[in-house]
Amino acid sequence: MKSYKTKRAIGNAVGYIILILISIIWLFPFVGLVLQSFRSYATEYGGMVDYLVPKQFSLDNYKFLFDSSQTNYLMWYKNTIIIAVFVSLLQTIIQLCVSYSLSRMRFAGRTFLMRFWLILGMFPGFLTMICLYFLLKQFGLTQAGAIPGLILVSVASSGMGYYVCKGYFDTIPKALDEAAMIDGATRSRIFFTMIIPMSKPIIIYTALVAFMAPWCDYVFASYVAFGHDTSYNVAVGMTRWVWTNDYQGYFTRFCAGGVLVAIPVTLLFMFLQKYYVEGVTGGAVKG
Amino acid sequence: MKKKLVSVLLTAAMGMTLLAGCGNEAAQTVADTATDVAETATEVAETAEQTAEEVADAAEEITDYGTGEIKIWVADNVVDFTNEQIAAFQAAHPEFSGYTYTVEAVGEGDAAGNMITDVEAGADIYAFAQDQIARLVTAGALEVVEDSNAEAVKAQNDAGAVGAATVGGTLYAYPLTSDNGYFLYYDKSVVTDPSTLEGIIADCEAAGKNFYFEINSGWYQTAFFFGTGAELTYDTDDSGNFTKCNSTYASDAGVVALKKIAEVASSKAFQNGSAISNATNVGAIVDGTWDAGAAKDLFGDNYACAKLPTFEGADGKTYQMSGFGGFKLLGVKPQEDDLKLAVCDALAAFLSSEEVQLARYNAVGWGPSNLNAQKSDAVQADEALSALADQLQYTIPQGQYPGDYWSLATSLGDSVISGEITKDSSDDDFMKALTDFQTTCESYAQ
Amino acid sequence: MAQDAGKKKTTVASQFFKAVGNGFKDIGVTFKEGDWKTKISYLIFGFGPIMRGQILIGVALLACEALFIWFMTGFGWQYLSKISTLGTVATKKVGRKTVYGDNSFLILLFGVLAIFAVIALIAIWYINIKENRKEELILRNGKKLPSNGEVFHSLFDRNFHKTLLALPVTGIFVFTVLPIAFMILVAFTNYDKNHQSPTNLFTWVGLSNFKQLVSFSGAGIGPTFVQVLAWTLVWALFATFTNYFLGLAVAMLINKKGIKFKRLWRTILVLTIAVPQFVSLLYVMKMFANDGLINGYLIKWGIIKTYIPFWTDPLLARITIIVVNIWIGIPYMMLIATGLLMNIPEDLYESARIDGANPWQMFRSITLPYMLFVTGPFLLTQFTGNLNNFNVIYLLTQGKPQSVNLAEKAGYSDLLITWLYKMTVNDTNYRMAAVIGIMVFVVTAVISLVVYNMLPSVRDEEGFQ
Repeated sequence: MKSYKTKRAIGNAVGYIILILISIIWLFPFVGLVLQSFRSYATEYGGMVDYLVPKQFSLDNYKFLFDSSQTNYLMWYKNTIIIAVFVSLLQTIIQLCVSYSLSRMRFAGRTFLMRFWLILGMFPGFLTMICLYFLLKQFGLTQAGAIPGLILVSVASSGMGYYVCKGYFDTIPKALDEAAMIDGATRSRIFFTMIIPMSKPIIIYTALVAFMAPWCDYVFASYVAFGHDTSYNVAVGMTRWVWTNDYQGYFTRFCAGGVLVAIPVTLLFMFLQKYYVEGVTGGAVKG
Repeated sequence: MKKKLVSVLLTAAMGMTLLAGCGNEAAQTVADTATDVAETATEVAETAEQTAEEVADAAEEITDYGTGEIKIWVADNVVDFTNEQIAAFQAAHPEFSGYTYTVEAVGEGDAAGNMITDVEAGADIYAFAQDQIARLVTAGALEVVEDSNAEAVKAQNDAGAVGAATVGGTLYAYPLTSDNGYFLYYDKSVVTDPSTLEGIIADCEAAGKNFYFEINSGWYQTAFFFGTGAELTYDTDDSGNFTKCNSTYASDAGVVALKKIAEVASSKAFQNGSAISNATNVGAIVDGTWDAGAAKDLFGDNYACAKLPTFEGADGKTYQMSGFGGFKLLGVKPQEDDLKLAVCDALAAFLSSEEVQLARYNAVGWGPSNLNAQKSDAVQADEALSALADQLQYTIPQGQYPGDYWSLATSLGDSVISGEITKDSSDDDFMKALTDFQTTCESYAQ
Repeated sequence: MAQDAGKKKTTVASQFFKAVGNGFKDIGVTFKEGDWKTKISYLIFGFGPIMRGQILIGVALLACEALFIWFMTGFGWQYLSKISTLGTVATKKVGRKTVYGDNSFLILLFGVLAIFAVIALIAIWYINIKENRKEELILRNGKKLPSNGEVFHSLFDRNFHKTLLALPVTGIFVFTVLPIAFMILVAFTNYDKNHQSPTNLFTWVGLSNFKQLVSFSGAGIGPTFVQVLAWTLVWALFATFTNYFLGLAVAMLINKKGIKFKRLWRTILVLTIAVPQFVSLLYVMKMFANDGLINGYLIKWGIIKTYIPFWTDPLLARITIIVVNIWIGIPYMMLIATGLLMNIPEDLYESARIDGANPWQMFRSITLPYMLFVTGPFLLTQFTGNLNNFNVIYLLTQGKPQSVNLAEKAGYSDLLITWLYKMTVNDTNYRMAAVIGIMVFVVTAVISLVVYNMLPSVRDEEGFQ
């Protein structure tokens, strides 16, 4: 019995060591990012260096970001928030509508619709970039109008991502609907007063995922907004600091900008993590 | 009477553009097409055809240039400078008062790609690196320089710059700078003698510092190839098509150069790169004048620059490193409106004029292409620019190269860096790689 | 299996033809037996319903027809009429002014839209006929037609799905179906940097782009395509399974009895999901650069003499990408596994322990089979997702290193999807990008189809509805 205990203690110790190692590896890049963001621009320039801890700490880089005479960073940040909020809101609504129809109602063409969307989803998204760009241009939603344009594109196709939400609806017993219908409730009434209140976790999950995606959208956003600095989002604006040689010494500024982007998204994610886990787990099992 | 005629012609011209817009490309949301013109469009339509030729003649008499918006793309660090200059331009030209100007930060590297993606949404005037010019002409993103401006440009700028802006005998762009060449920046405390490549690398190795050279760039690579006497040029026709490739890379000279590249890459001090801000622990770097400020910041008191070094080839001979002398250019997009084009021409000519080039040098340190500006004292005294000038005698003015050449050269450089081609490879391997390279280069010309 | 599929296909095909046949029969019968209102409806949509008092339905049908005629005469026809050549009028100069000719891009785009409009019109015409037939039959049987109010209300009850789906379906049509149809057609044109709208025209070239893709001689890019495709598959396989098993292992470790601060460990791991990838991956890219932080410290500490070429050596670049992907990917799997592991009944382990099974045996015979069974479809979507995992590759290496041995600017770490992106953005080589896109689709579809039918959970659970 004693040997079992010591064995277990050793097992736990090994477990802790592995977990601590993993944590260090996981956190290292973020620590680096934060440290570099505080490196003094004035004394150590803003380029790449091969040491981790700055020789002198300062807020130079953050000051730069907030100085709108030098950079449009705040504008990009605002754009990204606008896109994220609208996409999150509209995409959730659309996915709820689609999921309810497909989960609860039986109509001609339902299976066809689902199969068709499944097939459409197998085409790579970037394939159609040039076409989407010119489509948006017809509506005047590129360059100066890129923000609504990006929202439109993300929302328009979001119906195809109904899987997780529909999977959740499928788990709500149909008997509830039937009982309500016998009481004379219409489909729309059931949807608004029964299903939606019961779906809080999945609504939060959908909204959270939709909210996080635009922060990372570099590819299409840069394609739609090119040549118009004020309609960039943070990803487009800041990746230029890394990839374009016009921006010498912007590395620490990139780090600072990255920290400011990561903080709100990370906090939001941490608060809503419970729902996220519920969503991905459910989604994984349903496929 | 005369005034009335002009205004009729003007409306006719605008009606024409409108009709062109409706006829072929109704959907191209020509946002700036003034709505009030739409009402007159129908009545003008009948007269439009016969007046078309007269419009050109009438142009000289025009005093009212209408209204419009002109979009300008320049690199981020000259946005403010360009805005100031445009303000001066506006003050000097009250006749263009109907036009507004927006300056956007789009780097010389991105400008061409963005212009080609959508010419319509692109800038009316934009700065770009000369290696993009053929591509831009093919895609219809560059207007021919207006005749009187062309004469002035040819007379006032150095021959290399004019050559760079010329495709198949036609001048397509206004030279902005003539400093797009490279030379050596180094740390005085590390590199004692910057005259030989071997010495520089040995010094860097000894000090544990890095030597940066971007060997996977078709632009920097030529320092070796042209140095040993290998050649690579293209002939172009008027529309930007490449008609002939003249290359001697697949030769003994080419092998010596590539071997040297492989040897440099094998040094533990070697790093591939040419941007000071992305470089760490720098002992020496081959880079251009645009990084002079960053280099001064980085090296501090040990800042120094020099022409490119010589190197000793595998055949025992000593070669001076060569390379491209390159230029930044300013282009005007083809316009559907004569009047707007006239304004664009005037602005582009102004932005590339002697005074503005000199002012630009003073503001951001870009070396002018204008001959008079080059002779000014400030430019003559500039350390980086004089290192570049020293190097210039060994370089070859960069002509036109197809876009594919650059990525092919990247592939060649990557193959060396990744060790597919090493300094220990046999001469046959080198020759094979270069023969492939040359054949592919030749395949780009039809 | 193959026979099965063949049989299935024939039955599907015969069903389809039967349905079409029935459709034609309906059209004929309705016309023959219909009254004059129905007959006029063949030309003027919704005429019958309007005359019978079904204003709402009738007007909707009529509006569709009017919209179509308006679209075609004002806009669609001028593009549709040129679709066979994609335009012939070249751009020319008048003085110094540029007069643009036909815009092949818009001709193709709106030509496709017009074709869709025609198909939609035929469908609506058929619906219109069926509606007339239905109404006539109801009236003939002496029943009453539903009132307009009832029709409207049904949109919130019996026909609620029509209301809910109208917007999403339209959105998907305009921003997904139309562009995909367009790009598939581009694969059969010569739309590239030398044939760029609006200055230059492009036109149909048949299968030559596909031939170039699979040609192994001359200008063919066959060898490069094979190489990129192979790496895409290898990458997807490694990315999926390393994350799967390591994520599972980490989840089990954290779930282990006696390990404290479970929440803390999870939170640390989950950071990589929360922080936007363009921030974290770009930083990691710089970190592993030849002159980056890692190499810098390793050299300083004297562990290595020369830098390790994490991104510039083809093999090492691929390995580094997979390793960094573990950093990004494990947390997802960990979250999923944590939830699922709790579903495994504890008494299964209890009885196994009594039988003297060691932890490894328990994992092999209880945990793994359960997880694989439950997460089968998830693994498949992960795999197809990784085939198109753009962010990780592009932010880390942009597909580099390139090589003289690869055509069309492909690099050794390029996936099909990053290659496609570079072709579109850097080269404006739309025709080849379209061909690659179609290939990505084919690969995804084939793998999904084959694997999907092999999944045990699909067979048992009646699966995808």
